[in-house]
Amino acid sequence: MNFLRKIFSETGKFVEKGKPLSWAYPLWEAADTIFFSTNKQTSSGPHIRDNMDIKRTMFFVVIALIPCYIFGAYNIGYLNSLALGVEKGIIGNTIFGLSYVLPILIITFIAGAICEITFAIVRKHEVNEGFLVSCALIPLTMPPDVPLWQVFVGTSFGIIIGKEIFGGVGTNIFNPALTSRAFMYFAFPTKISGDKVWAVGPDGYTGATALAVPANPAEYDTASNLYANISQFDYSNLNLFWGLIPGSIGETNKLLILLGAIFLIYCGIASWRIMVSCVIGLVFTAVLFNLLSMLTVQGILESGGTPNAMLTITPLQHILLGSFLFGTVFMATEPVTSSHTNTGRWIYGFLIGVLTVIIRSINPAYPEGVFLAILIMNMFAPLIDYYVVQSNIKMRLSRNAQ
Amino acid sequence: MHKIKVNKGHNINISGLSSREYSATENNKFVSITPLDFNYIKPKMLVKENEIVKMGDPIFFDKLNPEIKWPSIASGKISKIELGERRAIQKIIIEIDENEESKIEDSQINLSSREQIKEFISSKNMWPFITQRPFNKIVNPSDTPKCIIVSLVNSAPLSTDLSFTLDSQKDHIISALSNLRKLTDGKLYVATNKNEFSYLSSIDFIDLIEVDGPHPAGNIGVILNKIDPINSNEVVWTVKGFHLPILGKLFSKGYFDPSISINVSGPAVNPSYVKSRLGASFSSHKSSLIIDNVRVISGDVLTGKQVSLDGFLGFYHSMFSVIEESYERPFIGWLHPGGKSRYSIFNAYFGSNKKSFNFTTLQNGSNRAFVPIDAWEKVFPMDIHINALARSIEANDIDEMEQLGIYECDEEDVALCSFVCPSKSDVGSIIRKGLDTIYFDQ
Repeated sequence: MNFLRKIFSETGKFVEKGKPLSWAYPLWEAADTIFFSTNKQTSSGPHIRDNMDIKRTMFFVVIALIPCYIFGAYNIGYLNSLALGVEKGIIGNTIFGLSYVLPILIITFIAGAICEITFAIVRKHEVNEGFLVSCALIPLTMPPDVPLWQVFVGTSFGIIIGKEIFGGVGTNIFNPALTSRAFMYFAFPTKISGDKVWAVGPDGYTGATALAVPANPAEYDTASNLYANISQFDYSNLNLFWGLIPGSIGETNKLLILLGAIFLIYCGIASWRIMVSCVIGLVFTAVLFNLLSMLTVQGILESGGTPNAMLTITPLQHILLGSFLFGTVFMATEPVTSSHTNTGRWIYGFLIGVLTVIIRSINPAYPEGVFLAILIMNMFAPLIDYYVVQSNIKMRLSRNAQ
Repeated sequence: MHKIKVNKGHNINISGLSSREYSATENNKFVSITPLDFNYIKPKMLVKENEIVKMGDPIFFDKLNPEIKWPSIASGKISKIELGERRAIQKIIIEIDENEESKIEDSQINLSSREQIKEFISSKNMWPFITQRPFNKIVNPSDTPKCIIVSLVNSAPLSTDLSFTLDSQKDHIISALSNLRKLTDGKLYVATNKNEFSYLSSIDFIDLIEVDGPHPAGNIGVILNKIDPINSNEVVWTVKGFHLPILGKLFSKGYFDPSISINVSGPAVNPSYVKSRLGASFSSHKSSLIIDNVRVISGDVLTGKQVSLDGFLGFYHSMFSVIEESYERPFIGWLHPGGKSRYSIFNAYFGSNKKSFNFTTLQNGSNRAFVPIDAWEKVFPMDIHINALARSIEANDIDEMEQLGIYECDEEDVALCSFVCPSKSDVGSIIRKGLDTIYFDQ
């Protein structure tokens, strides 16, 4: 430890103010404080401080994501075994999956670190740990087969356009990880949507995600019946929960996501209000659409039309399908881009739930609506806060007038 | 009788609480008064170095409001006037001559009308004892406050237990309160903890408030926010609880007695209560330090001011806090699982926060951009959107600051927000910056 401390003390002299290498100070500071907690002291104001800091806050989100990585890797291997009809075993499946996950992860972190450190050096501020979370989230939203250069481009776009041009962590409007995801979705649609990308198998192997099933049925039926008739994958509610299904790397196992949610709520890092209200909004809209479907389906069939099977997805299925839970727990709760007031958080989350179902069900072109819903609500979060704060102002003004 | 229950807040469990008994009296040779303890004044000296002054004599006044003069807090010689940049007065040190300190009662006091009381306060140079909200500054004597509030609840960490130090001062407290009562047309609020100062409940001219809950429950800003919020253009006056006996003696007996009881507390010192006086020096407590490398703070650890080992008590402070100056750099400290060596209101440090904790001066993290994970709101009990308020201050938007309730806030009310902030922001200085902006814009 002393040896390491010495290295940092010695190298620190090269990046002091006025030295030729002083531009590299943010880089040195980031490495230095990762290994040794800062010895910065309180100056005035509170002379004592809580032990919680941003490093720990951000790192704990990354910890919550680690189980999703491990299961994601296993799932890639499992689906590959299923496609090839071979048996690799748990370890074999996981190693096979890691050979897909790790390169994506490494490329993401390289791209993210380059952007963050470059901006830190140019702007002369310290490296903010927020980029760790963004970079840890991006691979989990990717299909396993995604080309690595696309990951690099997508991550850079997300970090720069989603965050840095607005001034970095704390002042960004959009969630950088979702900005990456959205950019890649629209820039490289063939590699991140459709039914060929979600499971690794032989050439031409297709594995439709569960959401795509009722979006493009051969013949109209309710979603539950359609799922029951799929033989390639087990799309029962139970298996949707356990996550041995095609999908983005991190989204499939709902148990691990829920454990992550409990962990983050317990630590006081993520807002439970947003998570709960997202689910409420989703259930509310799904029930509404179920009723709509029940009332109209007979009439549409009689007049020769094709009813929308997406409307028949039950609330529970909506929760288990796709990346709703993943987005709710890890993306919607991002503190900077969500609402900053507690009342606002309820509204913000509720509308994410509503929009998710609307985008999923009404518009069959985008069977996955969560990331768009969250990005749209990111945009409206300041507006929601504005009205929440205005109500406080009105209360104070009316008190003044008395 | 009002009852207030404060839910949001946190009692920091810091070690070094003084037990309720006095240790030996301290022997003060010098006392000090510093104009830096008072916001928005321009001090000008009325005495010179080496001049002999009597207790209560004016020693400097405010150029912006010449009616406000500061009393000498001891009889003796002005031993030093420390000047800082641009000859700003930093500190006035008085060498005490105890033989000169007389306590002659004045039987000629007639304080029946408000004007008489105000004149008496001016003649005795007592205005610095009375401060106002908003802005936390000395009052303007020509104002009539909408109410006056005195908090006898010190909820800040380790702070003086007034029910102990003011135990035998009943008559003086009542004398002070009855005269303060006449300075306002509104109410005179007195906040106490449950079952303390029970004699106050029989006094009909005060509105008693029973406060319950964690810090900052005892702050007048928080209490007012719950029962009688300050609107724009309103002024509330307040007096520090431990100043009440001093005012009471002046009102009833006519002499200035600067003796107060203080406590010296904190993890780096043998905690104790001491009979002391206004502006006393820390030097006589050096022997009770447990470790060498310490930070001495006049006031509590949340809002106090750092002073040297020979430093003096601030005018509005009744305690010294002493904590260790730490330069420790734990290896990968941010990954530490928790346990007894960490203190956090977040559960992210597992098993922390149970027993009293030896806080040091470590900031425990680097300064970062603000990430709103609801930390401030956990410990801020007022109905103010503190986050939005802070942003309006940073944006210099005076209208919005007013609308969001900046007049109800003071640095001490948001000190806990800075304590818990993971980005290590100093919310107190943000609030002060906003108040300054408004004050100098007027």
